[in-house]
Amino acid sequence: MTLQIENVIRSVWIWFWCFFGSTVLVPHQGSSSRWTQGRSIKNVEEALEALQAARTGEGGASVTALELLQKEEEFGSIVTFSSRLDEALGGGIPVGKVTEICGAPGVGKTQLCLQLAVDVQVPPCFGGLGGQVIFVDTEGSFQLQRVVDLAGAAVRHCSLLAEDEEQRVAMTTFSVETILSNIFLVRCRDYVELLAELHLLPDFLRDRPKLRLLVVDSVAFPFLRLHDDLSQRTRLLQGLGLQLIATATRHSIAVVITNHMTTRLRGGQSQLVPALGDVWGHAPSIRLLLQWEESRRLASIVKSPGHMDATVQYQITCEGFRDADQSEQLQSKRPRIQTDQ
Amino acid sequence: MSWDRLQLKPQIISAVQRAQLRSAQEVLCVSGPDLQKVTGLSRSDVQDLLHAAAAAACRARPPVTALQLQRGECHRLESGLRLGTGCPVLDGLLRGGLPVGGVTELSGESGAGKTQLGLQLSLSVQYPVEHGGLSAGAMYICTEDPFPIKRLQQLISEQRVLRSDVPPSVIGGLRFSDHIYVEHSADLDSLQVCLSRRAPLLLAQGLVRLVVVDSVAALFRSEFQADDWLERNKQLLTFASMLHHLSQEFTTPVLCINQVTDVFNQSSSSVSSSSSSVSPALGLAWANQVTVRLMMQRLQGTVVRGDQSSALRRLEVVFAPHLARGGRDVGVWREGLRGVLDPA
Repeated sequence: MTLQIENVIRSVWIWFWCFFGSTVLVPHQGSSSRWTQGRSIKNVEEALEALQAARTGEGGASVTALELLQKEEEFGSIVTFSSRLDEALGGGIPVGKVTEICGAPGVGKTQLCLQLAVDVQVPPCFGGLGGQVIFVDTEGSFQLQRVVDLAGAAVRHCSLLAEDEEQRVAMTTFSVETILSNIFLVRCRDYVELLAELHLLPDFLRDRPKLRLLVVDSVAFPFLRLHDDLSQRTRLLQGLGLQLIATATRHSIAVVITNHMTTRLRGGQSQLVPALGDVWGHAPSIRLLLQWEESRRLASIVKSPGHMDATVQYQITCEGFRDADQSEQLQSKRPRIQTDQ
Repeated sequence: MSWDRLQLKPQIISAVQRAQLRSAQEVLCVSGPDLQKVTGLSRSDVQDLLHAAAAAACRARPPVTALQLQRGECHRLESGLRLGTGCPVLDGLLRGGLPVGGVTELSGESGAGKTQLGLQLSLSVQYPVEHGGLSAGAMYICTEDPFPIKRLQQLISEQRVLRSDVPPSVIGGLRFSDHIYVEHSADLDSLQVCLSRRAPLLLAQGLVRLVVVDSVAALFRSEFQADDWLERNKQLLTFASMLHHLSQEFTTPVLCINQVTDVFNQSSSSVSSSSSSVSPALGLAWANQVTVRLMMQRLQGTVVRGDQSSALRRLEVVFAPHLARGGRDVGVWREGLRGVLDPA
């Protein structure tokens, strides 16, 4: 229960941030003189606009914490098909929030994203959301072959579980073909295209009320090329982060983004940290870290207001993202606890 | 660009022109609050402007469904093509061959057989699509050793042996060596010129549909000192983004051959799971840019076939979005690289 309350408080904060963050809370470095110029007229206009918005309820009029809690429970979450990770996340990747998946190349970030793109479509009678997904691919790693594998496995899995009449009826429409038809793909070649796509997203979402998941795989790839002007990169990323949070809350969809790892030198020691810097670290409300430990793959929740820090082992099989075998899991338990900080 | 074409209020257009924003890209690269400051527009006007700029920058490419991709209705994003290696065992490992979009890296110690695979792909790309090729030539950029022309001639003369599945008339009709464009780049500048000028020309004319860089490590390892790592990373990212651009723009597979480096510290293996003592060179910054990572190793032992014998090698998939981890034993024969089905 304490966890849920914490969650609610966090959500209230997010709404506050969405609403005021972009207008008031983000003055930029080096621009204080320009900020004050012509402030009187423009700021009055802005203030009026903000008031107007508050009155008409655009963005988010005040909501009580109880309403938020109910809303969040109603949103549900997207299962990952790894029961241990779902358990650690309290049911899966939450809808209405931004979740970041970071990890070294090849550890399974894209696999988890593709898995979620399939899982979000699981019919409600199987505990899924029956939603659609928009997949923004910036790396060119969206491989159709692999999506077909995962979709086939998910359909087989659900058809084995089907027991009552409702589930059998749902299975008649839950096929590889319908899964593919509910995945919308956008490919962006650079950060300008990514920013543009996100600006156009609200229109796209308006026509598709069933859309429940936005995947951006990855944010780091296009932005890391913008290495000449780091302050511009920080500003754009900050804007992007706000936009993602606003999209997640306004349209009640889950936003899943991936990030690379980079090496940071600190006191002569090198350590692996998520890329794009510290400011970006505030954008996602949940941060999942995927990493190798010898030949085991581990997923850890490293940042989340509503979850305990946890580390679970997973594997990538032909079928997709799954729990690691039970026997291995037990063996690995002790050393894993010791290595966690 | 002319802002008048966009459906915007005249006051927005004049504000944008006053602020000297020239293109939709420029508008998108300024964050929202900054845009409000430089144009002096209200928040909702800025939203309209950003929206119009975004629509202009994306050139009306609505999202497509994966089903449309599967039905081949959108060749721009997914052509379903793969570049076969010419060996059914390796094609099985790679699920058809190299993907046509993305950068494939092949790393390994010297003598592991990396260049052999590079040469073989330069030939197999020339076959028609029904035989696993892309019916176009290859651009082969050497940075290390001179191009192994003798070996290439040998491979060409033995193509009938390697590709017994292809009718001899098809093989006879291909003029292999005419369609391999060899470039020598001894430094980063000439590599850049090659990739930014000559490669797009050849690709745009359809003469080439495979770019091989043999090897990437040589240049980046030799041109930078250890404390230049920041500059090196910048150059690496620029280089990688050029390769990705070429690959996506022309739906062309790009193969980068890489060296390996020894790993001393086995305990901090959170980056990779490879149990071997070597890992591909150039570090994490480069690894993040690679779509498919393959590795070749020289194993103990030899394989014998008829009058030929070859050191046993292994081709491993380290990571790829669509491939399972795994490997196949291969031998290098007179006619080229072939998977060994039953290791002797």
